Amino acid sequence: MGPTAPPTKQAEQLRQDGNSYFAKNKLSAAIDAYTEAITLCPNVPIYWTNRALCHRKRNDWIRVEEDCRRAVQLDHSSVKAHYMLGLALLQREQYADGVKELEKALDLGRGANPKSYIVEEVWQELAKARYLEWEHASTKRSWELQSLKEACQSALKEKHDRKYSEMEGFVDDINDDYSKQLDGLEQVFAIASEADTPTEVPDYLCCKITLDIFRDPVITPSGVTYERSVILDHLKKVGEFDPITRKPLHQHQLVPNLAVKEAVQAFLQKHGWAYKMG
Amino acid sequence: MTSASASSRKALSKIAANRLQKELLEWQVNPPSGFKPKVTDNLQRWVIEVIGAPGTLYSNETYQLQVDFPEHYPMEAPQVVFIPPAPLHPHIYSNGHICLDILYDSWSPAMTVSSVCLSILSMLSSSTEKQRPADNDRYVKNCRNGRSPKETRWWFHDDKV
Repeated sequence: MGPTAPPTKQAEQLRQDGNSYFAKNKLSAAIDAYTEAITLCPNVPIYWTNRALCHRKRNDWIRVEEDCRRAVQLDHSSVKAHYMLGLALLQREQYADGVKELEKALDLGRGANPKSYIVEEVWQELAKARYLEWEHASTKRSWELQSLKEACQSALKEKHDRKYSEMEGFVDDINDDYSKQLDGLEQVFAIASEADTPTEVPDYLCCKITLDIFRDPVITPSGVTYERSVILDHLKKVGEFDPITRKPLHQHQLVPNLAVKEAVQAFLQKHGWAYKMG
Repeated sequence: MTSASASSRKALSKIAANRLQKELLEWQVNPPSGFKPKVTDNLQRWVIEVIGAPGTLYSNETYQLQVDFPEHYPMEAPQVVFIPPAPLHPHIYSNGHICLDILYDSWSPAMTVSSVCLSILSMLSSSTEKQRPADNDRYVKNCRNGRSPKETRWWFHDDKV
């Protein structure tokens, strides 16, 4: 059978069998059915991703990874394959590669349907991974800063004690200098840990409807930027107008706001705590 | 009204809960002047104390607003009513229902609890006489079965008061 052969009727029947076993949570039966389908038609990516989904339910991440890699080879634009491959990599603590796969899945998913459940799911997983990554790195940074600070404080104290014993006059001046230096040190270290301290995300990086940091920002002809999935929802349910300016607005007028998207990425790069949602 | 509308209410969607958390936080950090939220553990129903602005007909009077949020807030407007006794005002009925376009047809998801409260306060502040709407008795009678003001077909006479 040639590599571009369409799925045979028999293989399709096996896939449907697999799907109904999966729906009933009969995972081994589902895996057997998909495996047979793969044997008949190894070039159909969906057979591989469906089987990967079964492995995922069983927490068999090595097999998830294998099946998804195969599916990605067959179809570079498979959202599910990139998504589950990303999850499998994160399981192996391959953060950078896992995150890259999830981002790929997110881009592909948004291209297909920005409001689909899978886009939301991928985003949640991506945010979780990024947040954990930040938590890990920032704990390390804050521990390093703390020990550096303690070292500086004791060095200052040593210097102060030495001066104090050497000079008997001007004691007040020495004490003055010392407490100023301690204050200065405190300030320097406070500034150094600012980026890792969770505060508020600036308003200009947040959607006026969700009040949350942008994920997929789009701009209207009025110049206002909104979260894509939410403004689409508004146009459908509330009315075809810009929620802030109330000027008429239609779906085709929405344009991605790439500048804001980059600004959000730059912000998140520096302040990983902002990945924590809700 | 309380029991009927509360029991038929559906729980907040994830988007709604998320957004209300943010609004609540913002309200705690930076409350609009003239308002005091009463602390409750119910995210879906807020009770807010309104203090009449100085120099207006309602100066030094306090009233209570009850704000109920639907499942799909902010894609749907919240239900905002005064808990009786409601202020005497040409657009406020004695049962607490408020005739204000942004609460119904002119709602926009970019509005917040705090912007709604400010609109209500400004509606009070700009009033020149303390009286009930002309059709008060008829309207209140029609609402006796616990009808929500959001089910009323409002007829917004003027935007000035």
